[in-house]
Amino acid sequence: MFSERTNRRRFLYTSGGGGLAIGIGSSLPSCFLHAAESATGDEDRILVVVQLSGGNDGLNTVIPYADDAYRAARATLAVPRSEVLAIDDDLGFHPSLRGIKDLLDDGQVAVVQGVGYENPNRSHFESMDIWHSCVRKDQSRTDGWIGRALEQFTAADGGDVPALHLGEQQQPFALASETIRVPTVKQLEAFQLRGADSPALRRLLNGPPTPAADQAGGDLLGFLQSSTQGAISASQRVTAAAEGYQTDIKYPQSRLADQLRLVAQLISAEMTTRVYYLQLDGFDTHAQQGDTHAILLRQWSDAVAAFLRDMKAHGHTDRVCVMTFSEFGRRVAENASAGTDHGAAGPMFLCGGGLNAGLIGTAPRLDDLQQGDLKHSVDFRSVYASVLKDWLGTDPDRVLRGHYETLPLFAGA
Amino acid sequence: MAVETKIDPIWAWQPFTPSDSQPWDRSLAAHLYRRAGFGADLQLLDEAVAQSPHDVVDELIALNLETSDFRAVADSLAQTLLAGGDPMKLSAAWVYRLLFTPAQLLEKTTLFWHGHFATGADKVKDSAMMWRQNQLLRRHALGDFQALAQAIAKDPAMLIYLDSTSNRKSHPNENFARELMELFCLGEGHYSETDVVELARCFTGWEIRRDRFRKNRYQHDEGEKSILGKRGAFDGEQAVEIVVGRDDMPRFICRKLARYFIADELELTDDLIEIPAATMRENNLQIAPVLKLMLSSNLFFSAHARARKIKSPVELVIGMLRGLNGTTNSQLVARGLRDIGQGLFYPPNVKGWDGGRAWINSSTVLGRANLFEKLLSDEDTKFDGRSLTQSLADHDIHDADHAIDHFEHCLMAVPINPATRRQLNVQFGSLGKDPEKNYRRLLHAVCSLPEFQLA
Repeated sequence: MFSERTNRRRFLYTSGGGGLAIGIGSSLPSCFLHAAESATGDEDRILVVVQLSGGNDGLNTVIPYADDAYRAARATLAVPRSEVLAIDDDLGFHPSLRGIKDLLDDGQVAVVQGVGYENPNRSHFESMDIWHSCVRKDQSRTDGWIGRALEQFTAADGGDVPALHLGEQQQPFALASETIRVPTVKQLEAFQLRGADSPALRRLLNGPPTPAADQAGGDLLGFLQSSTQGAISASQRVTAAAEGYQTDIKYPQSRLADQLRLVAQLISAEMTTRVYYLQLDGFDTHAQQGDTHAILLRQWSDAVAAFLRDMKAHGHTDRVCVMTFSEFGRRVAENASAGTDHGAAGPMFLCGGGLNAGLIGTAPRLDDLQQGDLKHSVDFRSVYASVLKDWLGTDPDRVLRGHYETLPLFAGA
Repeated sequence: MAVETKIDPIWAWQPFTPSDSQPWDRSLAAHLYRRAGFGADLQLLDEAVAQSPHDVVDELIALNLETSDFRAVADSLAQTLLAGGDPMKLSAAWVYRLLFTPAQLLEKTTLFWHGHFATGADKVKDSAMMWRQNQLLRRHALGDFQALAQAIAKDPAMLIYLDSTSNRKSHPNENFARELMELFCLGEGHYSETDVVELARCFTGWEIRRDRFRKNRYQHDEGEKSILGKRGAFDGEQAVEIVVGRDDMPRFICRKLARYFIADELELTDDLIEIPAATMRENNLQIAPVLKLMLSSNLFFSAHARARKIKSPVELVIGMLRGLNGTTNSQLVARGLRDIGQGLFYPPNVKGWDGGRAWINSSTVLGRANLFEKLLSDEDTKFDGRSLTQSLADHDIHDADHAIDHFEHCLMAVPINPATRRQLNVQFGSLGKDPEKNYRRLLHAVCSLPEFQLA
């Protein structure tokens, strides 16, 4: 059932964790450690993308609490200095981010500051398309950056899908590919054919596809046929993988937490899926932002923290990286509805075991704005390039349709 | 994507004339009803075939108001369900309308505008307000776009959805101003960020108080604004007029209408879309003449359009029921539609449903099949008011093979291929002791086929 590589890694981890039991002592000899490190090869690493949809207010996420200009711009929305979870003398997390702060203290968070792109677009949909496709509207967009990355991965054993989207929403364009169809799982219970006839129906729908190209409906029919077959096989594999999972970690009650728990289930079942994609909606806070934003940030932080605790408990910490982004930040000054309008640059977060933890890059300046918005100092594609090259071990230039410098995000990169 | 030969715009929009190679028959009539509405049973198809395609389109357009009898019933049902205050129940009231309205094109277009001026009940939280917006969309669906845009700009549900319930001159809220240009009228790239900021100033002082729209003149910015190349001390109505009056607007709206009514993936070049856009301008921005042009055109009845759409969840379910003269539990349908991505009154965001391939993913593929399983095992689901067996017997159908033919005629935009048909017969063709159960299993299987997802 498990590949040799996986078994070796499992064995080494178990022997490391139970070092005393086998009489080696509290620390592993270095030869074991090296073996354990090399056992986590590129092809073993997993990327979990969390998309904060609607434009997260980065300025109230990583807060320049010591800057008077921050308080001046946000009469009602400024977080009181005493409540900020200080990272250093200038910056601190929103009080909802207790879980992320603990992870940071544990060396498991890298915050990339001031991420954006030239000539920012403030439409949710166009900006999201830019983040997903990595190109502007005037260039052809037929696929997304993750979709292109998947095409470069060698097919894993076991026939697992290379990526999985979990959520109620439409599948993000980032996952679009010419050749690879990524499944969407809304809820595990609903992700299988129901009814007494389901085995027969599965046989019917899983039959060989008919030649579609010369028929009416053409490529749309071909798309429907391959989607149907993909759904049937993914459903069987995912359902089987998720069975019998146990964890002592208590996840908070939220949709995102449920989805991350399912990801943990699938990872623990040794699915060879490399990328999981999740979304948290609601960040378009034009009015009465304070409470809404606090709730959303807490949902994200608590869910990611529980997930990484679970990964640690199951020995997967060094294989998993959670990358969080939003399509833009929000305007520095609040509007008259105690909300904020669409802005530009914001922070990105990477959480997991293999990181250079801490603040990366420079915080955007509040006295040097562009149309009332924070200026970016890091192109988002540099973050993608680092993830692609140093985490997933693939060539970023082809995926990103251009060359972007990598950042020192990962330990040993 | 298939290589499309370039479409000649003049040919595309000329009225379609039936010929020997493309006769006006049940199959073409079914195409028209699937697109201009939600489907037709054999009786309606035969009535259509007895007329010319143009007469049928004219009739669909002429039904731009519901008959007063139907309206009275549908409205009172909605009012009853509204009393509970749950927008999901309102959603069931709309399902009733979709299923029974004689004014199919009106309802199809109302659904179009709901996806266009998308407003979600999960945020608005007030079902009476959502209901009023729905009636507003229906009232203007085939009418004057300028009037529709002006009405939606003051619609309480819309303004709550876009956080514009109190717009003050000190810091104008930009949300509605941006979406008016980006999503409702012009499209991204046809305005600047300065236009957003200036347009937002025009709407200052617009408020929702006690669930009603009103203007607060103390909060209105009376200064001069500069929008899309025009300068003046514009107010909100003038701002809408300027945006709606742009030359880009009819092209933007007609592209979206053409994707909705004609084909998901047609390359709608400026050349091709200019003729409907010109029709819209010449008719003072009326919608009905544009739809008449589109639905009677060569393009609409050509291979570029036939089976070139993926059914939306509403088209999928209501289409099956209407095609077989079926009725069912509206609440079940309303919840089911939401599960597979088209909750009525619950669009995913202000951009509405993207449609096309976006309807399909692993979850919705399984969900579509499971929804039919649920509907067909529900006792409330009836055909011609009776069992499926009796309804088929009325059409002189007594075995699985003929039932498959019947389903194909009434429901499918493409024929079921022979290999699949053989397999259907082998796996679901045995009617056994309980023909009703087995006909329903067969119909469930047919509705789960990839071919069935095409409109």
